[in-house]
Amino acid sequence: MSYNNVRGPTSALTEFLRDSGITATTIARRSATANRPAAGPSNTLEEADNVDANQEDGVQAARRRTRSSNRRSGYVSDELDDPASPTKKRKLSRSAEAKMKKKQGEKSKKDDKDDEDEDEDAYTALSRSMWSIAGSPSKPPVGNFDTCAKCQKQFTVSKYTVAADPGPGYLCHPCAKSSGNDPFKKPTVPKKCKPTVTKRVVNSEERLFPSLASLCIQIISRYIDDIEALGDIGTLNMEAISKAISKNRSLTSANAHLFYGPEITVLTLYDATKLTPDALSTLAHFNPNLTTLRLDFCGLLSDEVMSVWSKSLPNLVSLQLLGPFLVRPPAWINFFESHPQLECFKITQSPRFDVKCIETLITTSQKTLRALGLKEIGKISDEFLNCIKLLEGQLTYLDISEPSESCSEVAIIDMLSTVASTLTHLDLSNHTEVSDKVLQQGLQAYSNAITSLGLRNLPELTDAGVANFFNSWTSNPPLTFLDISRIHLLNKGALLAILAHSGSSLQELNINGWRDIDNEALEEIGKQARDLKKVDLGFCRGVDDFTVKSIIEGNKGGLQEVKVWGCNRVEGKWTVSGKQRHIRIYGIESH
Amino acid sequence: MADVEMRTESKDDDWVRIESNDGFSFLVRRRVANISGTIKNSLDTESGFSEAESKTYVAREYRGLIIQKLLEYMCFKAHYDKVGPKEEVPVNEFLERIPAEIVLELLLAADYQEM
Repeated sequence: MSYNNVRGPTSALTEFLRDSGITATTIARRSATANRPAAGPSNTLEEADNVDANQEDGVQAARRRTRSSNRRSGYVSDELDDPASPTKKRKLSRSAEAKMKKKQGEKSKKDDKDDEDEDEDAYTALSRSMWSIAGSPSKPPVGNFDTCAKCQKQFTVSKYTVAADPGPGYLCHPCAKSSGNDPFKKPTVPKKCKPTVTKRVVNSEERLFPSLASLCIQIISRYIDDIEALGDIGTLNMEAISKAISKNRSLTSANAHLFYGPEITVLTLYDATKLTPDALSTLAHFNPNLTTLRLDFCGLLSDEVMSVWSKSLPNLVSLQLLGPFLVRPPAWINFFESHPQLECFKITQSPRFDVKCIETLITTSQKTLRALGLKEIGKISDEFLNCIKLLEGQLTYLDISEPSESCSEVAIIDMLSTVASTLTHLDLSNHTEVSDKVLQQGLQAYSNAITSLGLRNLPELTDAGVANFFNSWTSNPPLTFLDISRIHLLNKGALLAILAHSGSSLQELNINGWRDIDNEALEEIGKQARDLKKVDLGFCRGVDDFTVKSIIEGNKGGLQEVKVWGCNRVEGKWTVSGKQRHIRIYGIESH
Repeated sequence: MADVEMRTESKDDDWVRIESNDGFSFLVRRRVANISGTIKNSLDTESGFSEAESKTYVAREYRGLIIQKLLEYMCFKAHYDKVGPKEEVPVNEFLERIPAEIVLELLLAADYQEM
């Protein structure tokens, strides 16, 4: 029924007829059995019925009418006899039928109950065609004049001419239009109301079986106010517990108390993501004697927390933070002024840390600061380096890597000239302006204690320059850690010089992205750097199974990790003689 | 022949031994022991480790009490992991069975055993 409502109003007459059992179906049946082309005047009632029911599809009706009237006007005389014969019916209203089918399909999806309605619909087309034949038996041939049934004006009959409603007669074009029955209107495309796919909300509750570790953490949280119940913590390795709890973001304000205590001096939390500003403030209150604090992922560390820390933590000398994005310069400055004894200050990713902060840090902690890490600090600039110069004679650790804009070579050389003599760790990665000049005039000239060097992504360095530097860097002891990756032009000369200089003591080597280096030079790694623990050969195209094998076999046994991402000649098909070793090889593509 | 037998057996439910550092020894089905990633790798018949040949995993780091709880969890998981979504897993009951005194030790063990 709802369907009918959509299609148009039903007159009281239709209702009445339907109640007395007269529907389009019965009419059609009757006419089929009567087997006559045109109904007599007695049909007028049904006509009205049908018109009412089908007002909307005017154009189709018109089309059918024209067709049928053509027939009636004698062009196809043999069809005259039985307009109700099934095949012809189909011909008459194929488009209509297609439409019906569509609608039916939609409908049956929508609602299976409306079967009767469908029946009715199936017959509307037929009965309508009958009606046009019957009600206006004499539609004049196209081109003839006729008088409008409404305005009584003469008009030319066209194939768009519409029968008057109610009949008899035909309407002129303006009248047809004004009656809301635009003859030119394209057949209304059945609204593509998407079949409302009853969203079968499958209750797919993915049940992850709780891990034993998570269960343990639950119990810890439960007993957090009664830590004695957890037994003697002192005997256990708190750092290992901290690491275990930090996995899967399990460290929360509730269970972080496990690590707190007035006797604690060193605190490391590996994932502080879920520690709110309040929790970070209480951290300071519960651990008044901290000397060393390291927080990873401390994104919620805010100005308020920093001001709380400024008032507490009087003994803090070492602070290491990963991701203190929110802290603003005034809060940093306030903290530095209240902690003039910092020895180690390392932060990573802090876009707001500016030159005023570093100035305050260095003036307040000038006598004590030994380790300074400013990694991925967006505002780092030559001015920063000028400040760092003041730490002459004491700075051992300096990391100014990954700036957003490179510092100038002159400033870096100038800074190194004062601080390089004491440095053991230096990271200049991604200062893209750095060229061979910095190595020669900055490091070679002034450094004499560096053991760990980061020179990642310095595209100005040349193979000859790096080779020359390492060959003549005799003032400095061999390196244990070297990251000189992502410098595509470095080649055999540089590698052999590095191995000659540091090969005997290298523990970690990263030459990722030396794309042109050949297998022969790479095998020297295995021969000369026999103490390696970790090596990254990624995207060195020359690496193959023999290279990896020679590195593994040449190693004295400490090798833990080999990375060969992007080395597509490595197939992992070597066999290593000797004892079983715990080496992890990452990035073999054929695996 | 013996080789073939061993392989088919190892796929099925043969028994493996897990020893603690204070002399306790536990026999469990391999299916259960495999719930721990670490034990699974050690006892993997294709790894060639001596543990796999002797079918014995010696947990030098843990005392018997801890191993017992580890195995209890492994049996618990082996039993309830396969049940349908409608059946309730009695996690709380299991939690009740873990004494607070050993929970930190157990956490470290669980972390190491990848479960």
